[in-house]
Amino acid sequence: MEEKVQLSEREQRKVLYRLLSYTKPHKRTITLAFVLLLLTTVGDIVLPILVKIFLDDYLTPGNLEFKPLLLLGSLYMGIQIVKAILLFFQLVKFQEIALYIIQQLRIDVFSKVQALGLKYFDKTPAGSIVSRVTNDTEAIKDMFVTVLATFIQSGFLLFGIFIAMFILNVKLALLCVIIIPILIFVMVLYRKMSSRFYLEMRERLSQLNAKLNESLQGMAIIQVFRQEKRLRSEFGDINEQHYKAGMKNIKIDGLLLRPAIDLIYIFALIIVLSYFGITSFNTSVKIGVIYAFINYLDRFFEPVNQMMMRLSLYQQAIVAGSRVFKLLDEDTLAPAQKEEGASQIEKGKVEFMNVSFSYDGKRDVLKNISFAANPGETVALVGHTGSGKSSIINLMMRFYEFERGEILIDGESIRHYSKVEIRKKLGLVLQDPFLFYGTVKDNIRLHNTDLTDEQIEEAAQFVQANTFIEKLEDGYRHKVVERGATFSSGQRQLIAFARTIAANPKVLVLDEATANIDTETEEAIQTALAKMRKGRTTIAIAHRLSTIQDADLILVLHQGEIVERGNHQELLAQKGLYHKMFLLQNGMVEKMEDVIN
Amino acid sequence: MKVFLELGWFFKQEKKAYISGVFFLLVVAFLQLVPPKVIGIVADHINDGTVTKGLLAEWVVVLVAVGLATYILRYYWRIMIFGSSVKLSKILRNRLYHHFTKMSPAFYQKSRIGDLMAHATNDLQAIQQTAGAGVLTLVDSLSTGGFVILTMAFTISWKLTLICLIPLPFMAMLTSWFGTMLHRSFHKAQEAFSSLNDKTQESITGIKVIKTFGQEQEDIEDFRKQSDDVVQKNIVVAKIDSLYDPTISIIVGISFFLSIVFGAKYVLNGELTIGQLISFTTYLGLLIWPMLAFGWLFNIVERGRASYDRVAKLLGEKVEITDQKQATEMVPCGDVEYRIHEFAYPGELQPILKNIQFRLNKGETLGIVGKTGAGKTTLLKLLIREFEGYNGEILFGGAALQDYKLEKLREAIGYVPQDHFLFSATVAENIAFTNPSADCVEIELAAKLANIHEDILQFTDGYKTIVGERGVSLSGGQKQRISIARALLMDPELLVLDDSLSAVDAKTEEAILSALKENREGKTTIITSHRLSAIAHANLILVLEDGKIIERGTHEELMEQNGWYREMYLHQQLEELVEHGGH
Repeated sequence: MEEKVQLSEREQRKVLYRLLSYTKPHKRTITLAFVLLLLTTVGDIVLPILVKIFLDDYLTPGNLEFKPLLLLGSLYMGIQIVKAILLFFQLVKFQEIALYIIQQLRIDVFSKVQALGLKYFDKTPAGSIVSRVTNDTEAIKDMFVTVLATFIQSGFLLFGIFIAMFILNVKLALLCVIIIPILIFVMVLYRKMSSRFYLEMRERLSQLNAKLNESLQGMAIIQVFRQEKRLRSEFGDINEQHYKAGMKNIKIDGLLLRPAIDLIYIFALIIVLSYFGITSFNTSVKIGVIYAFINYLDRFFEPVNQMMMRLSLYQQAIVAGSRVFKLLDEDTLAPAQKEEGASQIEKGKVEFMNVSFSYDGKRDVLKNISFAANPGETVALVGHTGSGKSSIINLMMRFYEFERGEILIDGESIRHYSKVEIRKKLGLVLQDPFLFYGTVKDNIRLHNTDLTDEQIEEAAQFVQANTFIEKLEDGYRHKVVERGATFSSGQRQLIAFARTIAANPKVLVLDEATANIDTETEEAIQTALAKMRKGRTTIAIAHRLSTIQDADLILVLHQGEIVERGNHQELLAQKGLYHKMFLLQNGMVEKMEDVIN
Repeated sequence: MKVFLELGWFFKQEKKAYISGVFFLLVVAFLQLVPPKVIGIVADHINDGTVTKGLLAEWVVVLVAVGLATYILRYYWRIMIFGSSVKLSKILRNRLYHHFTKMSPAFYQKSRIGDLMAHATNDLQAIQQTAGAGVLTLVDSLSTGGFVILTMAFTISWKLTLICLIPLPFMAMLTSWFGTMLHRSFHKAQEAFSSLNDKTQESITGIKVIKTFGQEQEDIEDFRKQSDDVVQKNIVVAKIDSLYDPTISIIVGISFFLSIVFGAKYVLNGELTIGQLISFTTYLGLLIWPMLAFGWLFNIVERGRASYDRVAKLLGEKVEITDQKQATEMVPCGDVEYRIHEFAYPGELQPILKNIQFRLNKGETLGIVGKTGAGKTTLLKLLIREFEGYNGEILFGGAALQDYKLEKLREAIGYVPQDHFLFSATVAENIAFTNPSADCVEIELAAKLANIHEDILQFTDGYKTIVGERGVSLSGGQKQRISIARALLMDPELLVLDDSLSAVDAKTEEAILSALKENREGKTTIITSHRLSAIAHANLILVLEDGKIIERGTHEELMEQNGWYREMYLHQQLEELVEHGGH
């Protein structure tokens, strides 16, 4: 379901650098982590040297004084313990840094999403946005936690081991340097081969899962059209391909991963033993040095294994990173305001002047819309689905930017008010009152911490939501499950009303707020609405004409145009579209027949 | 370990691979013992100054041989053991899929697709782990561990071995304990992550509300808090995870320390040579992995067993709708007759259909109308045997539906479901779903009948355009018409349209209906619809309400009756007018 991303080496590096730039705010912690890393590495290097000293200076010559040996022994165990403790903190620190970096990245992406205009949400499925914020960042986390940490730690250890080797024996250390190009060669080869095979396997796996998912969804169709056998064999084919890709990976891992590194280890061992063997022809060799070298070799190869096993994660993280950055660079922003002073909406007069609008730049969904709603008046918008009612509200709420015409509030262009002012003074009630996970109180308050509990309860009382809320278990603290599924749509709407009233707006905007109401709450809703409208300018999209009969002005829209306007009585008298809609809703069969014929 | 018994059938089936794989593993475990030994011997010679060229060459040859042999064997046991485990997941995945294709809609009603997917992915993954890494850790930890300990005890010093082994069981215990803790805290971290996921999902679905109240900043703050929780829970994981290395390093360090201290004593006693001591410490290094592996083994096997149980249970689910023994191979043809007293969905008390009696003659069209939930779709689902267990019988061509093989029955029926589901494939492949070998003439004919041909030509790749979830998005009406073309391609004896014209406009509906009329002479059609214009031409119209037939007759008859049908018809006529701006 994700689009495939092929990144060139350069793009990959760019993504990596951008990811790394997130480490900047953590400079101090990172420095600390590096100091810890340095210390533990020093510990790793020093320990074999202590054993070497013991073997060469004490054991071989048989010089076994108690005091220096006790000192040496205590030193050994002391370093061992301190090293283990430092190692713990070092490992934790690196992971912590990674987690904080990812958190920041997540917050950045989330904030970006919040700043985007509704236009972006129209063209992007919600699932894929969520995926950017959580799953992709999670993949990047894996890279920071395991890949980068492993690489840094392993790199340090390798470097330290080489330094120790050079201190012990320069010639042999130089000989051992030969191993490095061999290792690098194997690593590069592995990365090249495995990234291809690994990618192939991921792809097969996602094909497999897509096929399975689709089959499960369409199982009824498959069965009714008797295609079970064919689909089974198609699935079997993909499964086989996936198996083959899996086998290829096992083979590559078997050829180039652990077994290969162990083979190189054996060769390194041969070099060390031969060197000491040959040296011993002429001069005596200190046994402790042999011990130390062998010990270093033992430690040398594990980090290499670790590094190689993490390579595939790196690739995934880069791809995920590029997707995340694409979203971060998205420029479909929400409409901006051009604030001029601290204009305030005092009266709540709303005017549309010749507004035309198009979502896609091709087809106009609004054509020359003009009307005015005086303070305290109610203007109702009616019309068939797609007639443009919701678009008027979308523009008024500044969800979309418009270019032609002007919208005035209290005689001032809507663009000149601050965003805060607009959000505060224009209260929108949606057709689908979205409830969030939390309590009833949280849902009325939303995140507005200025509201006291009393104000919340007052708001609920005002819209008469208190009667049902108080009957709930825990009352205002009642838990709201996902989307408020346990409430009836009417109850959800009442909570949404309370939400709007609590914010005390000057202008009330109702987007089919009474469309999906069950009959039980219908009355409560109507009373609440009437109360809410008092003293406020109201722009209402009405599904049921009965709810807007007392509106001061009714606009009938058809295909983006206002085709009729007037109050209820005037419009009925016109015997036009409004009249027909009215008959339709009131189920007057006999009159219908007259109209049709 | 019970899961190994439960997987016995597979091990038996892959006997060869597993036996040779385990054998190679044992050989590798043995060969691993050689290099430390060689180190010890050479070190002793160096210490004594008795190294010769021949001796050195000899041991180098031994090392090279051992190295290469280990490399090759290691490669092969991976192929054998890991390869088999991948094969196991392939086999189980095919079985699951096969099973899924046999399960009836009742099964899909009670299980969520997400859960089924999880079984086919995560559970199979865990089982694969058990059959691969599980077998490896079991064999390897026992063999390597055993061999190394035996070698240390018998070729170097059993006393020193015992002393140095004392700390190691603690390592196995501690790491296994960490494993359990890690699993638990990881679970919590996953939960925190998933609630962050839910929070994001919620914010994005509710973005309009958030924007309405201008609470973007506050919502970001809330997100920050939740992501803090994720970080904190993950730090717990990180802390436990970070315990492993230091613990191992301390315990191994103690073992090393003991081996050097006591080893030195034995060297001075003359019980050991220095070279042997060096070998000994190298062997000690070889013991780390088996100890860790042993700790792992339990975690792997535990997870594998739980997963295998779930998959086995799923595969054990009974197939509900099957062929009767005496079922005929004939494809049904002829009149359709319903004689149903009552039907309720499995597990529900309230009957959804009551007293449904009617007869539809071959070649005629039946229209079924009624409100949502009246039972229209259910009535059709019984016909295609998606559900059974009704009181009464349904006859097709004079015989009960169960008298035909399921496959033959469905061969006679071209079904267009309400929720038009298209597969992620080309338009042509979707239309030719029942007959992938259909040529383009047939496909285009079906598309033309369904009035979608012109639309398809407008798509960027014409008939080769990919549609479905991962393809271009089509309008509801286009999807419906492709579904219709799909059913028409099989030129079925009985065509069933389940509210499949709801998203097309009146003109298109008319065109499709008249095309059907022309091309389906002598063949039977059933149409359910909300819009009465789609069934006004039917030979028989049934009006359903609450599962019962409340009105029946032709359009003309029903219009005279002055009941639900007539009222609805007028209502829809007026609606049509309003949609067109009142003209």
